[in-house]
Amino acid sequence: MSEKVLELKQVTIKFGGVTALDSVDFHVNRGEICALIGPNGAGKTTVFNVITGVYPATSGEILFKEKSILGLKKHQVTKTGLARTFQNVRLFGEMTALDNVIVATDVHKRTGLVRALFGTPLNRREERSGSERAHELLKLVGIDHRSDQLAKNLPYGDQRRLEIARALGTEPEVLLLDEPAAGFNPAEKVELADLIKKIRDTGYTILLIEHDMSLIMGISDRVVVLDFGQKIADDLPTIVQNDPRVIEAYLGVPADAS
Amino acid sequence: MANLKSRFNLRDFGANLWEGWNRQTRVTFTLVLIGLVALLPFAASWGPTSFLNTPITSFENVLVYPVGMFVLMALGLNIVVGKSGLLDLGYVAFFAIGAYTQAIMSTTLGWNTWEVLPFGIAFAMVAGVMLGLPALRLRGDYLAIITLGFGEIIRIVALNLKITKGPDGIPGIPNPPAILGLDFSLENPSHYFWLVLGMILLVIWMIRRFTIRRPGRAWEAIRQDEDVASLMGVNTLIYKLWSFVIGGAVGGAAGVLYASKTMVISPDMFKFEVSILILGCVVFGGIGNIWGVVVGASILAYLPERIRFISDARQLVFGAVLILMMNLRPDGLLPRKKREKLTKRGSL
Ligand SMILES: Nc1ncnc2c1ncn2[C@@H]1O[C@H](COP(=O)(O)OP(=O)(O)OP(=O)(O)O)[C@@H](O)[C@H]1O
Ligand SMILES: [Mg+2]
Repeated sequence: MSEKVLELKQVTIKFGGVTALDSVDFHVNRGEICALIGPNGAGKTTVFNVITGVYPATSGEILFKEKSILGLKKHQVTKTGLARTFQNVRLFGEMTALDNVIVATDVHKRTGLVRALFGTPLNRREERSGSERAHELLKLVGIDHRSDQLAKNLPYGDQRRLEIARALGTEPEVLLLDEPAAGFNPAEKVELADLIKKIRDTGYTILLIEHDMSLIMGISDRVVVLDFGQKIADDLPTIVQNDPRVIEAYLGVPADAS
Repeated sequence: MANLKSRFNLRDFGANLWEGWNRQTRVTFTLVLIGLVALLPFAASWGPTSFLNTPITSFENVLVYPVGMFVLMALGLNIVVGKSGLLDLGYVAFFAIGAYTQAIMSTTLGWNTWEVLPFGIAFAMVAGVMLGLPALRLRGDYLAIITLGFGEIIRIVALNLKITKGPDGIPGIPNPPAILGLDFSLENPSHYFWLVLGMILLVIWMIRRFTIRRPGRAWEAIRQDEDVASLMGVNTLIYKLWSFVIGGAVGGAAGVLYASKTMVISPDMFKFEVSILILGCVVFGGIGNIWGVVVGASILAYLPERIRFISDARQLVFGAVLILMMNLRPDGLLPRKKREKLTKRGSL
């Protein structure tokens, strides 16, 4: 039986008059790649924002490993095991690629400021293991050769990969990817799809926002479709693909009219 | 212009040189440098460097205050403004707290400077927490305004309390007792300089430790994108608070020392202008770069004393230097080193 690792229950969020999410209900099973799709402005990024504590939900409940994470601060959410990337790359541009990842690995460290000052053995060990782990992750996403470059100087594709490595640095159980293939050419998309599968096979659960249908059909186990803040479908990729409501949402006309 | 800049960059030149040295060369260089700086009090009386001598105020005293003190405070403020990117316009408040702690405790309880020092630092840190907890939830301009207000409040409180003796201030603060072979009588300003130098070195050591480890990364992340930093797990409030508190501690320590050197303090020594001048030192030298801040603060503190003989035109020249500088090097004398090499040590 699959375990629900992340679950949204009747989540509603309003921005003034706009209802960005309207009683959204869905869950992510452990170990799967779940795709979250929908037309522009459907509320996909808002789902990430509400999960990671950027905005409070107006009503509803969010459960992570059966515990409510609603109302936690952003860094607390990250610490419980959820990490994300951003639709528009938001790296620490003036830091090296390696440091970008090390910052993330710091979440679970036990030594802070005081022990850093005195360089206690535990602090030294943690510093070393953080940097080793960061190199591993850069290798995993295929950009370890760039570790000493400033993030802002990396090619665009590598910046996207670095965002993934940085999120993994927080050792999340669920990885939230917001359009990681945006701006990629078809060949790059295939590579990225392979990377995402590889990451899943390493033991992570993935919630993926993506517009490219072929990419989604290729790698996802389940697809959740949002439209105007409401969930309109939640099923296997092949079924969702032929759902008339989904086709209507994407094309703006009823499926049988075409 | 941009081309010219990329061809020669003093900071990178220095960093590369340092990078290329082995441990032994580095230690030797550092010791020689510290030794030379320690000899500074004699510079005014030695032929080739006698041009450094300041008219009116004695050179040795100028080295202690303003030069040494400004470097110390600029380093402290740099932890706040340069490292975590928080604009603090009321830094003088911490200096004042340290100075009044020394003044009050020494005159009423009879404690000496070394006994008061931990309290001066602790009170400044507590003030940092009390100001920081509410203020650090705000950002940018709002934070700047609150800190500005805080600086003024401390001065006005000192102006009105009985224990601080209002506008007259507190006289008769004793000099520090001798320690480690240093004798702090007023005829020995160079001994004060060596003490300040020691404190500066201690602060630099502390900042360097922080910078290459977790706190430095957290501050850097916060400075660049606070929201993303917290989404990557950085407890932004705590780290911002720490930068405030550590910066405050340095200011407090400087205040204790200052009070026991001047022996008299009054509220008008802790005006808003001091905060701005210290901030000026940080910006002038290069926000975020320790060496930039040290050089910047030294120049800005020393220059007005050196040209004191032109009296009124002095401020004019000083202003002109600032304007010239901001045009030629908007990022400061030695701008912040990007974190390209710093990780090398962590990656052993
Ligand atoms: N902070 C905010 N304030 C006001 N409205 C917002 C805010 N964030 C999102 N919205 C609105 O909520 C709706 C959903 O936005 P969201 O960014 O989640 O869409 P999306 O599905 O990610 O779209 P895209 O595919 O373009 O990224 C939009 O109408 C948007 O204008
Ligand atoms: Mg979006």
